[in-house]
Amino acid sequence: MPKVLHYLNQFFAGIGGEEKAGQEVIFLPQAVGIGNAIEKSLQEHGVEYATLVCGDNYFHEQEELALRTMRAAIDRFQPDFFLAGPAFNAGRYGIASAKACSWVRDNWRIPAITGMHENNPGTQEIGRHVFVLQTGASTASMAEAAKRFTALLELLVAQDPAGAEAFRAEHCLPIPRRFTVKTGKPDYVRAIELMLAKIHGAAYESEIPLIATARHTIPNLTVNLKDATVALVTEGGLVPKGNPDRLESSRGSRYFKYSLAGLDDLKCGEFAAMHTGYDTSMVDEDPDRIVPLDAMRELEKNQRFKKLHERYFVTTGTGAMPSKMAELGAGIAADLAQSGVNAVILTAT
Amino acid sequence: MVLITCLANVAAQVGVGRIVGGNKFHYPVGQPELPAEEERRWRIALMEKALATLESKADKPTEV
Repeated sequence: MPKVLHYLNQFFAGIGGEEKAGQEVIFLPQAVGIGNAIEKSLQEHGVEYATLVCGDNYFHEQEELALRTMRAAIDRFQPDFFLAGPAFNAGRYGIASAKACSWVRDNWRIPAITGMHENNPGTQEIGRHVFVLQTGASTASMAEAAKRFTALLELLVAQDPAGAEAFRAEHCLPIPRRFTVKTGKPDYVRAIELMLAKIHGAAYESEIPLIATARHTIPNLTVNLKDATVALVTEGGLVPKGNPDRLESSRGSRYFKYSLAGLDDLKCGEFAAMHTGYDTSMVDEDPDRIVPLDAMRELEKNQRFKKLHERYFVTTGTGAMPSKMAELGAGIAADLAQSGVNAVILTAT
Repeated sequence: MVLITCLANVAAQVGVGRIVGGNKFHYPVGQPELPAEEERRWRIALMEKALATLESKADKPTEV
């Protein structure tokens, strides 16, 4: 008979509100609150259900003591599954749920499931392998959250790891963080093992979660090129001499635009690249090698397109977070659209 | 938008629509081994290719 242990805070256990936030850890040999709904849905599996209650303040002020009491309860009850939450957007309970689940998963190697809203600060505390069900921000999504806990538990009880992973992909929050994992092997051995597993089609898991890239539709030119204003954009870090705006040489957090008015060619010594991701000496020698102004002026003169936008845009792409680059890209695109630019040529190193 | 890069496979993986192969990653639109005027002519030809790519219709990542 599978055993489920569910950690609830004082509020979701129905003990009380803020005045009971100092409640110390208690073990109850039955389902409480949302646990009742989950237990009922799992009836046919004959689940044995127990609850740990801990006040939000108590967990944070007496974390060591709280975990010690929880450890004793876990050792005695021997759960097969550990649940915490849903915490929705409740910060204290979200963090406590994340910490408790990560701690249980690491120490007992049993599946640990929590649930919260994507903005809950608890998402920053999630350990590897913990399931974090996505919920709404408030208790209005309680019924839906209970269904998701139940559905995932059913897959785990049925020992359907592929089903559970598919469920994770669809309903769990991605945790795009890197974790320190001790493998007992040098990194190059680990890297080669991962590569061989991939080549041979064997199962493997990277310590570095992949960040999903947002797909978007590819825009086509809406005007004839002869009537188009074209802009040059680069992530290659090219800035006027002296780097007047202090563009970072890696992990760019801002973008800048610099005038090309009156210039037909970018000259050595007048512009230079701020970028630790590539050897900039060839670009510094002739900046047209990253911002091809000389060629574009020639094609502009030949009326291949109407006009080169009077400024080029620049940031530094190396080492940057994709989310930050998406933000900068959106800013550049909005600026270009407002300036009536029809097309962009982006050079990347 | 057209992207000029020598890492076309990476660009295609992240969904860039129009990709033109650049020369080297530390000078995608440069060819320093050529004399200056020849390099300029080479670059004009590359940018002409980029402009022609801008005019093309694309519904999936396409490398030219």
